[in-house]
Amino acid sequence: MIVVRGLQKSFGTARVLRGIDLDIADGEVVALIGRSGCGKTTLLRCINFLEEYETGEIRLDGEDLWYRATPDGVRRRVSEVEARRMRQQMGIVFQQYNLFPHMTVLDNVLLGPRFAQRVSTAEAEALGRRLLARVGLEAKMSAYPAQLSGGQQQRVAIARALAMRPKVLLLDEITSALDPELVGEVEDVIRSLLSDRIMMVLVTHALGFAREVAHRIAYLAEGAIVELGSPADILDRPKDPGLKEFLRRVR
Amino acid sequence: MNFGRWVAIYGPTYLTALGWTAVTAVGAACGALIWGCALLLIRLSAGRWGARGVDAYVQLFRNTPVLLPIYLIYFAFPMIGLPWPAVVCGGLALILQNGAYISEILRGSVNAIDRVQFDAARSIGLAPWSTFRKVVLPQVLVYSIPALGNQTVLLLKDTSLLSAISITELTMQAKLLTEQTGAAYEAFIVVALLYLLLVSGTEVLFRVTHRAVRWR
Amino acid sequence: MPPGSLALLAQGAAVSLLLAAVAIVGGTLLAVLLAALAFSRFAVVRAAYRVYVYVVRGTPLLVLALLVFYAMPALDLRTGPYIAGTLVLIVYTGALLAEVFRGGVLAIPRPQWESARSLGLPPVPLFRKIVAPLVTRYTLPPYVNVCVMTVKASSVLSIISVWELTLAAREIIERTFAVFTILGLAAAFYFVMCFGIDRLGRLFERHLALKGFAGERA
Repeated sequence: MIVVRGLQKSFGTARVLRGIDLDIADGEVVALIGRSGCGKTTLLRCINFLEEYETGEIRLDGEDLWYRATPDGVRRRVSEVEARRMRQQMGIVFQQYNLFPHMTVLDNVLLGPRFAQRVSTAEAEALGRRLLARVGLEAKMSAYPAQLSGGQQQRVAIARALAMRPKVLLLDEITSALDPELVGEVEDVIRSLLSDRIMMVLVTHALGFAREVAHRIAYLAEGAIVELGSPADILDRPKDPGLKEFLRRVR
Repeated sequence: MNFGRWVAIYGPTYLTALGWTAVTAVGAACGALIWGCALLLIRLSAGRWGARGVDAYVQLFRNTPVLLPIYLIYFAFPMIGLPWPAVVCGGLALILQNGAYISEILRGSVNAIDRVQFDAARSIGLAPWSTFRKVVLPQVLVYSIPALGNQTVLLLKDTSLLSAISITELTMQAKLLTEQTGAAYEAFIVVALLYLLLVSGTEVLFRVTHRAVRWR
Repeated sequence: MPPGSLALLAQGAAVSLLLAAVAIVGGTLLAVLLAALAFSRFAVVRAAYRVYVYVVRGTPLLVLALLVFYAMPALDLRTGPYIAGTLVLIVYTGALLAEVFRGGVLAIPRPQWESARSLGLPPVPLFRKIVAPLVTRYTLPPYVNVCVMTVKASSVLSIISVWELTLAAREIIERTFAVFTILGLAAAFYFVMCFGIDRLGRLFERHLALKGFAGERA
């Protein structure tokens, strides 16, 4: 499970996250929603340390991530080697430009296992093919990303993230940049992952999809989680006026 | 003697040379701009053969070092009855070379700017020359200012090659001073600093101009 | 055309090409090192890089060459001009290529960096499998450009008595006054070399594009 406590982050003088507390249980899917600039993407990026943060703790299965307190009480970043190890337990998929254009689809998926996790070539290839079959793209294994549609590229990106056998999958608006008719195939892949009981944190604007796959939805505004609850609670019975306004606007 | 004293004594002798460098640079830059515009006009208006001719010209000057036209004009012109001063010969070579690059810069700008405007001007009956002068050229020039600034800096540095045909600009002056005083380091470091100053000044000039003239 | 001049010019062209080749190889190595400095964690190192590039790009190549040539009496006079000239060309090409490589690194879209980091890739595979291939593909056209510039820049070394194509041409002209013919031939040699490098570069680009990379850039 993931535990976030008192997370605070500023970009210069602007406070983007004001004390986030969030627990994600094993196998739980949490959706982060909110207006642009509310901090949901920043929160996601802090979880896998693509952004540094000034205060707060993030724990994965009991292990403190990213910062350690030295014996004299000073807060120190973990070493690069440690950070890499920690990052391997998470998979992340971005809105676009995920894949490395100079490698085939299969090589993209294999990259992590082979070079970061030292899995043997044969094993990695078997794993890669299995995952590509899972996202329905085994046939495109030798194609290059530029030959794929946006939806197909995103599916490969998901396969690549899964190839690391992560404990949690972080998804940053993965369908926002897609043409509408391609969104469905990507959402299907996410749906199929629910049975794996892998933790997921997804930042999304697609409220319908969030309702379907998320166990809980967190509504963020101005760097804080304003409301947190089941999809029915958040989407059908919102309490916070800001959230009500947000839902009205989006619908 | 130490650096400071050397500069104090011999510094002023650089001034004339600095003047020559500046004058040739400015003169050649203006000439190259005019020549580049002329090449652009030829490319746009003389049909396929005009465009091919300009292409060949540009390719020639892009793939040969600028010392060759400098030597050619300097050595050959007296032979064909044009005993022009070295400065003019050198300046002409710089104009011919840089005009080629400038015409390419302008061509890029023409391609980048919305052609619709040019067609609109033509269709309201503006004669081709007026269209060029009043609609095409101003926009193309403004759009090209950053690239022209870069090119001008290159031209400024190329003036140092005029020392090869005995023009007493900055580089030649440094050579002379080295031979006179034996202080090679000092002579050339001062000259390098002067060039850096000129280059930075040119860059600032173009940046300010660009900001002042931009309307989009 | 004076007898033997064609052969002399051809030899000169070979020397020019060799000088350029050495400068490009040395410059590329230097540029990789410099580009690494440009992205250093330490502000002082990054500033040093910027100063280096500023000075080398803001000073005419001839002045750099003369500075090295006159101000290095420690060099053996017999090989003096060649070593000085080659050194200057390497320094010059290195600065230009460093900026090219730096631009290439900056052109890599951020999500690709972040994907590589999120996969936990260690530095060596990161460089070998991600950074180097991408930067190579992004920087090929400007790299070829710099190669052509280096060939042309080698002509400047004629002024510090490095015997190459331009100096060969000058010597023949001073003996025979066949200005048009000789300079025309010299121009032809340069043209073939420069144009040839450019075309080879385009062929290589097309070859890389066929290997699937269609140039996805941010």
